[in-house]
Amino acid sequence: MGATLTYIRLNLSRLLIIIGALAALGTWYLSVPMVDSVFKELNAWQVNISSFTLFTGLITISMRYLRAIQKRDSDVWYFEAYALVLIYVWIILGFAVGMYSDLYQTAYLSTKITLHIAILGQIIFFYTSGAYRTFRIRTLRTAALAISAVLIVALNAPWVQNPFPAASNLAMWLLNNPQMAASRTVVITGGIGSIVLGLRVILGLEKGAQRITEGE
Amino acid sequence: MKIPDLKSQYVWVTVALLAYIIPGVMPLGTGFPMSDTTMEIYDIVKNLPEGSICAIGGSGVFAFDLESSAGTIPALKIMAENGVRIINVPLGTEAVQYEKFLIDASRIEKKYGGTHEYGTDWIQFPYIPGGSSGLVAFLDDIHAACPVDVYGTPLDELPLGQELTNWEDIDLWICPHWGFPTIVQYVTGERGIISISFAQSGAYSTYSPYMMSYPGQVYMTNGFLGGAQMERLVGMKGLGHAAIDAYQVLSILFVVFVALGNATAFTTEEEE
Amino acid sequence: MLSTDPWVWISAILTIFSFTLLYGDNKFFRFAQYTYTAVVVGHSVVVGLETVQGRFSPLLSGFQPMLLISLILGVMVLFVVWRKYAWVASIPYAIIIGVGTGLMMRATLQTDVIGSVRAVIAETGKIFVGSPYDQFGYLIRVTFTIGTMFYFLFTVFVKGTGSKPVSYLRDFGKYALLIYLGIALGNSAMQYSGLGASAINRLLRQWLGLGG
Repeated sequence: MGATLTYIRLNLSRLLIIIGALAALGTWYLSVPMVDSVFKELNAWQVNISSFTLFTGLITISMRYLRAIQKRDSDVWYFEAYALVLIYVWIILGFAVGMYSDLYQTAYLSTKITLHIAILGQIIFFYTSGAYRTFRIRTLRTAALAISAVLIVALNAPWVQNPFPAASNLAMWLLNNPQMAASRTVVITGGIGSIVLGLRVILGLEKGAQRITEGE
Repeated sequence: MKIPDLKSQYVWVTVALLAYIIPGVMPLGTGFPMSDTTMEIYDIVKNLPEGSICAIGGSGVFAFDLESSAGTIPALKIMAENGVRIINVPLGTEAVQYEKFLIDASRIEKKYGGTHEYGTDWIQFPYIPGGSSGLVAFLDDIHAACPVDVYGTPLDELPLGQELTNWEDIDLWICPHWGFPTIVQYVTGERGIISISFAQSGAYSTYSPYMMSYPGQVYMTNGFLGGAQMERLVGMKGLGHAAIDAYQVLSILFVVFVALGNATAFTTEEEE
Repeated sequence: MLSTDPWVWISAILTIFSFTLLYGDNKFFRFAQYTYTAVVVGHSVVVGLETVQGRFSPLLSGFQPMLLISLILGVMVLFVVWRKYAWVASIPYAIIIGVGTGLMMRATLQTDVIGSVRAVIAETGKIFVGSPYDQFGYLIRVTFTIGTMFYFLFTVFVKGTGSKPVSYLRDFGKYALLIYLGIALGNSAMQYSGLGASAINRLLRQWLGLGG
């Protein structure tokens, strides 16, 4: 009985992947009302199901932090206790006042956004000291990298653009021509790779997708 | 003569003092030229007929998309002046707060002395989960994908909500987020709606191929400089201008330190 | 004039704690780090609760009974965090992966692959028309695209009759990629510089009341 149920579950997962993918493709390339209806319904389910994935982070973090607090074997368990309390206080605040309220917005901007911007803003210090150490021209390759980086930093700067307005056009030319061309290759090859990955998922050859849909 | 290698901390202190603290206390008021792409985008936004509907949304909020806000806030002001109606479509969990920040900062609402009234001139949709699935569901049938607004009010009870059916009602899409390729793929690529991104400079480098794949339909400004240019076009001095002040000094320091690094390496090799 | 707004003080203290990382890992930075994590997780739950409330309220009023299927599937998704019962989540994840894969394939094919290749072909034609400035631009675009494609596709060295021209194209592609990386890196300096300015200006202007 157990083996039968497992067999049904595995093949149902595979069937749903194939139906979902073919419906999404078919609704665009074919003009068949039945395919459109199937896609619309499955897509609506997908959107609704995705709203529940937002809770998995809370469950995972709570389990991990509670375990750490109980064992107290790491030197950051008190930070984890603080974080756990803050999570639940935040949820109560958000649920009580609503996430579109001015109070919630102020709290969010003053904590998370402040921290996010500060952490990322620090990068410029590491960026500049990294450039001092890394952009040392020894070969043609390092020259290509260093010169193009320094050139665009200077051409984007007002102290170059103001006396030489053509610098602004040159900066955009560099961004829209050599830089764009190589970036386009990344887009094309990445696109081909994504399509191959999609085919492997549909054919049941992709281990990563199998792990989650077959519960292995 | 060997030039000694500088410790990173000396570089950091120099950058902090010269590029941030001094311009922060005494703004430099740096000027900058205008770019053709920014003017094109300004013209597109300015020439939207009164009553048009512009969607602002996407996913992938990075550093609260502050760099994109520098260009989006002036665009909102232009659209509000011209009677363009706005719908905010958040496809990321943080996008709701960001879009609220944009509306508050642009002061287009009547409560701030602006022209736009909620429900009639603009609507904030709640978070739409599912990424590209959510976007496609929204474009195909707005009422089915989002039956209520962020306050829980049914769309049918809002004057603007009653006029929305599907993607055909949207005249322009502005994406101030990192998820711009998703918008280009489904909004412009599949449905032909013009899309604009006030892109962060890191994003411009990665997404510029999309502008070339859809010329005349996909537009991007480049980072804080593009944002500052948009600010100047509407006569405001916001985050874009402040960022350009800091960048003015930082770019000089960057060039100096790279030159110094090369001089250090050269003199060290010579001595050896 | 020092700010009296408690939120500005919280924001300033967290910014300073965050910048202490420049000195090295320390308890103040850890406090900031755990605050960040907690708010991110808390916020996603708040968003989740409001989203579920908004999307499934018609179920309570009886207007859309079909929503019951999505509700059951959504609850099943949560079982993914338990190793023993993770198999329960396999059905809803199959729907997510199936629909997502189909949408991704159609959009990627149309925009990323066909759109980009079509652009390259159009630009090849434009190399011979227009002003010399534009012609040179299109020439650079096409040659750099082809060069970098050769570098990506022929990473393993080709032997035989075509090996020399392929190796030249590969080397050209290598330098094109280095130029791309250099320009992309240099362009992103503006982004991090602006974020740093925003963080420090908040301390100086909003908190300490200095400057314009």
